[in-house]
Amino acid sequence: MTFKLDALFDSPDKQYLDANDLSTLSQYVSSIPERMAVYRTLRDQEIAIVQPIADALQQQAGHPEPLVERSVRNGLMVLRYAAMAMLLDDEGFVEERLQGWLPEMVKAYETRAVDQQLFQLLHKQLGKVFSPAQLGLLKPSLEKAQSLMLNTRETVTLAGLL
Amino acid sequence: MVSVADLLTDGRLPGNYFAQDLYVRGSTELGLLENRRGDRLLAIPDALLQAIYSGLEKETGQASRLVLYNCGRWWGKNFYARFCEELADYYKQPLASLSMAEFLQSLQQCWKTHGWGQIHLDITYRDRGFLGVEIWHSPFTAAAPQGQKPSGDLERGILEIFFTQLTGRELRCAQTSCTAKGDDCNRFILGLEKRLAPVEGMVANGQAHQAIMQTLMQQG
Repeated sequence: MTFKLDALFDSPDKQYLDANDLSTLSQYVSSIPERMAVYRTLRDQEIAIVQPIADALQQQAGHPEPLVERSVRNGLMVLRYAAMAMLLDDEGFVEERLQGWLPEMVKAYETRAVDQQLFQLLHKQLGKVFSPAQLGLLKPSLEKAQSLMLNTRETVTLAGLL
Repeated sequence: MVSVADLLTDGRLPGNYFAQDLYVRGSTELGLLENRRGDRLLAIPDALLQAIYSGLEKETGQASRLVLYNCGRWWGKNFYARFCEELADYYKQPLASLSMAEFLQSLQQCWKTHGWGQIHLDITYRDRGFLGVEIWHSPFTAAAPQGQKPSGDLERGILEIFFTQLTGRELRCAQTSCTAKGDDCNRFILGLEKRLAPVEGMVANGQAHQAIMQTLMQQG
């Protein structure tokens, strides 16, 4: 685990935590019940949230089924990692776990266009389920994941091998 | 219709098995580093690598490249078996049903997480029966003696065996560029022995990667 507060817990060899540090800690602690509520909702309603997105991608946007399936997989993965990152208050978590993986899968299966639509639909869906304050908790990690997926700096193209 | 519930067999969604913070662990009380399955990992000091190169050079001279290449092949054989086993366990399916994208991406991540640099496949010459491999930031050639000849013999061995086992065809591997002779990265070409035969001569003559590839392509 690498979450933000690690830096605080890393430093007993320097000195005791000061008032600022402790207030950072207590802010995080007091946000935990809300974070857990959002996490539970995501966990319990995973399918209910994502199924309408899959349907819309296939029926309205008319994307072929294998492509929608890949993209939905990406979406599910993003949601799960974003949920965990939100729980830890650490958007770096998303980056560490998905970098070098998700962008490459997007490229290999050429789902970028579908993924873009998926994200739009996902934001809409989440807006129905969560309050603006709750969305605010999820937003940093979701945005991190989104920008990661559209960023394909690494130079490998696997697409041609498939 | 895509059913989300069906995509989530037993609720799992396998991803980046070799993510660094997950993969490298340790049992520090015993003084051991381990991977996430509990297999032992070992950190090799740079100085030890340098010592191996210079010790081999001193004791075996010319043969040291051959020794390293054979060590690489030995390493590759075991690496391939372990790599496949770990992936099959993680994905809970036989390796044959794993997609090429997941397999190769896992290889890249695995390479990186073990600290062996960044490995990239170059499929430009696939239609002509060659597979290119680039390794950036290799710790092995960084420790090797600088010179005019490529010195990625360990990597040449491991790649040769890895892709031979993956493709089921007896492949050979030649190195066409090397950081130890001032190139930007290590480049390797894999192909059947007969077709790869001219490469060794060209490398010995000091030809650059691009020139070698051009000649290979012109051979048809």
